[in-house]
Amino acid sequence: MRPDQVFDPMLQHERTALAWERTAIATMVAGTLLARRAADLHVVFAAMGVVQVVLGAALLIWTGLRYEQLHAPLRRGESPVHPRAVQFIGITTIAFCGVAMLVAIATTVA
Amino acid sequence: MNDAANRDHDVNDTDGLPPDRRRLERWFPRDPTTVGDDPDYRFTLANERTFLAWVRTALALSAGGLLALTVLDDVRGEEVLGIGLLIISFLTAATAYRRWALNERAMRLNTPLPPSRLPLLMAIGVAVLALVAAVIAALN
Repeated sequence: MRPDQVFDPMLQHERTALAWERTAIATMVAGTLLARRAADLHVVFAAMGVVQVVLGAALLIWTGLRYEQLHAPLRRGESPVHPRAVQFIGITTIAFCGVAMLVAIATTVA
Repeated sequence: MNDAANRDHDVNDTDGLPPDRRRLERWFPRDPTTVGDDPDYRFTLANERTFLAWVRTALALSAGGLLALTVLDDVRGEEVLGIGLLIISFLTAATAYRRWALNERAMRLNTPLPPSRLPLLMAIGVAVLALVAAVIAALN
């Protein structure tokens, strides 16, 4: 059921959902660039870029769903903290940036 | 309320762990939601947004580095700029989760947020790379 009025005048959860969406979009952009750069090196690294794009798209959908689901718990005063999501994004971003760094060094040296 | 030693103990509560596990937890602290009490949900969401902003910064630096290498292919010195951006991007990504976990933990234990040199290092790193870009532009 949709809420008939905004319960948080500062729209904190909406701003957070938008931050997740911007992150998902940035993930897809970076993944595209890695796939393009890594295509000269090896198909496996290019595939990692594509995986990152798919991950970004999935994250975008998840964010939309979570935004809808958060209304009820926040009204009940429950904490919206989601450590698993933060850990997942933290670790995939480390992996992505690490791979991008290695691909850049490998394609430059070669 | 808390003196510095106490705060350190709160932030790096890794006593009694084997050394390799302790080293891991310096960079990937445990799930902070197992300690303390839920703070105001607005603080939790603000911390989440800060984490996401760092992740986006890392991704933007990555994208910039990859673009520099791909688009400026015939420019002399583009490797320095591209790889420099990608190294900063990796370091930023590596510290994002740690910052989130330490902040969340401090909020749950009602202690001051741990200080961070990351914003300063980021400013210096980007400024140095901007100078590198200027030198590359001048030489080509």
